[in-house]
Amino acid sequence: MAEEPVRILVSDGAAIADPKDKRIITAWSISITAALLALIGLCVFLPDPFWDLLQFISDGILVTFQVTILSITISIVIGMFTGLGRLSQNRGINLLASTYVEIIRGIPLLVQLFFIYYGMGKFLGVGGIPAAVIAMSFCYGAYMGEVFRAGISAVPKGQTEAARSLGFSDKQTMWMVVMPQAWRTILPPIGNEFIAMLKDTSLVSILAVSDILRRGSEYAGVHFNYFETYALVALVYLIITLLLSKAVSLMEIRLNYYDR
Amino acid sequence: MTVNSQPIISIRNVYKFFGSLSALNDVSLDIFPGEKVVIIGPSGSGKSTLLRSINRLESVDLGAILVDGVDISTPATDINLVRQELGMVFQNFNLFPHKTVLENLTMAPIKLRGMSKSAAQALAIDLLKKVDISDKAASYPNMLSGGQQQRVAIARALAMTPKIMLFDEPTSALDPEMIGEVLDVMVNLAREGMTMACVTHEMGFAREVADRIIFMDKGEILEVGSPDHFFDNPRHPRLQKFMQQIL
Ligand SMILES: Nc1ncnc2c1ncn2[C@@H]1O[C@H](COP(=O)(O)OP(=O)(O)OP(=O)(O)O)[C@@H](O)[C@H]1O
Ligand SMILES: [Mg+2]
Repeated sequence: MAEEPVRILVSDGAAIADPKDKRIITAWSISITAALLALIGLCVFLPDPFWDLLQFISDGILVTFQVTILSITISIVIGMFTGLGRLSQNRGINLLASTYVEIIRGIPLLVQLFFIYYGMGKFLGVGGIPAAVIAMSFCYGAYMGEVFRAGISAVPKGQTEAARSLGFSDKQTMWMVVMPQAWRTILPPIGNEFIAMLKDTSLVSILAVSDILRRGSEYAGVHFNYFETYALVALVYLIITLLLSKAVSLMEIRLNYYDR
Repeated sequence: MTVNSQPIISIRNVYKFFGSLSALNDVSLDIFPGEKVVIIGPSGSGKSTLLRSINRLESVDLGAILVDGVDISTPATDINLVRQELGMVFQNFNLFPHKTVLENLTMAPIKLRGMSKSAAQALAIDLLKKVDISDKAASYPNMLSGGQQQRVAIARALAMTPKIMLFDEPTSALDPEMIGEVLDVMVNLAREGMTMACVTHEMGFAREVADRIIFMDKGEILEVGSPDHFFDNPRHPRLQKFMQQIL
């Protein structure tokens, strides 16, 4: 009965470390050590411009997280309904969900951002951050839909049958038996999506949103030190992504609590 | 065995098709309160389909199935209420792996019968004692052996105090040394008077508890009789061949 939990790979987020790998020297530990040493070294020994820069972009880090967390939350909700819709027996609902996924997946995220901000901006008049959140949520919602669909489908049919045979309704079975088990396969790829999204939010700097990248550009535009600026911006993204990928892999261990 | 005249399950001229394959072909069968019916037959003969159509995990294409006098295939029937009266035990146990053993037993009585948590837990602990596994109440199912899981699955079904228990090859997925512990539980249940319909290849069990044995082949019931009849003078040539193979 102890089947390997199904792993869903949807996007190319950061490489998630194998939770069972107990070795000390791994790609992850080398990367994080190198990145942290580089960051600390640069800020300590070359405080001008690096320490100055880091302080300048620090509020950009907050904006990046703000956009990412808002977008991921909304996209999870969209994804859950899309996934359920794709599995629905109702042909209308099914088509609606599938068409949404089909359309969104065929349009580059950057084009979606432009369309919502500049295209729809005329009618909606939304600012940079709302436009970014809307575009990112709908885009990632489609991918999340696939994650949910795969996660729900991976729950053995016998689980549904057992619940139904006890007298649970369709809905009760979904929320009390299927979903709680699907989360186990869904959460790790959601973690991946979160990391991928955090990187993708750098696109919104184009919409005048003051994220990490935008703040960096502003700094470089004044001090003309593009090499140093973008090196530091890259380091900051790298460290955040590495830490998050560790968190995802720890979460994966915790999710397997009911295994032998 | 006292048998009332009013059947608790009445299967009437039922047909079930999977594409062009007829999995059930004009099947009729009445099961009476307190009765123990064992269903045997070769693989693919429609045993599971028949059992699963009783609680509408499979819906039949023609004919009617009445549970306690209620036609389960009419839209007016709330199938969820009917299912609460029918316990089902599966070959693969199908315990809920994200719930502890105790929670597996208390979930349905709390949510569906409106039982208080403490009452449901007391009932669950009684049932776990009955299937001799009360020390595992706090464990998760994946920590149990197959035989233990199946005993918990039986207890989970019993927690809804069903009028009839349906078993679909409850020991087929078990290692040989665990079959006995599950059959013991089922024999005890039979002795207590539970109405049972059981698909199994365990002929020793059939001989011990069955009031009637049903032999199915190719979607049809070919022979019905007492265990003695089945062991001593099976009539249908296919049944004779089948009995030779499994004994
Ligand atoms: N969902 C399904 N779709 C298509 N065919 C099915 C389906 N379920 C069962 N069948 C077919 O219906 C026939 C009867 O199946 P059933 O599972 O009832 O047999 P069984 O007697 O329980 O066999 P076994 O001893 O192998 O469990 C078989 O030929 C099977 O392949
Ligand atoms: Mg079967």
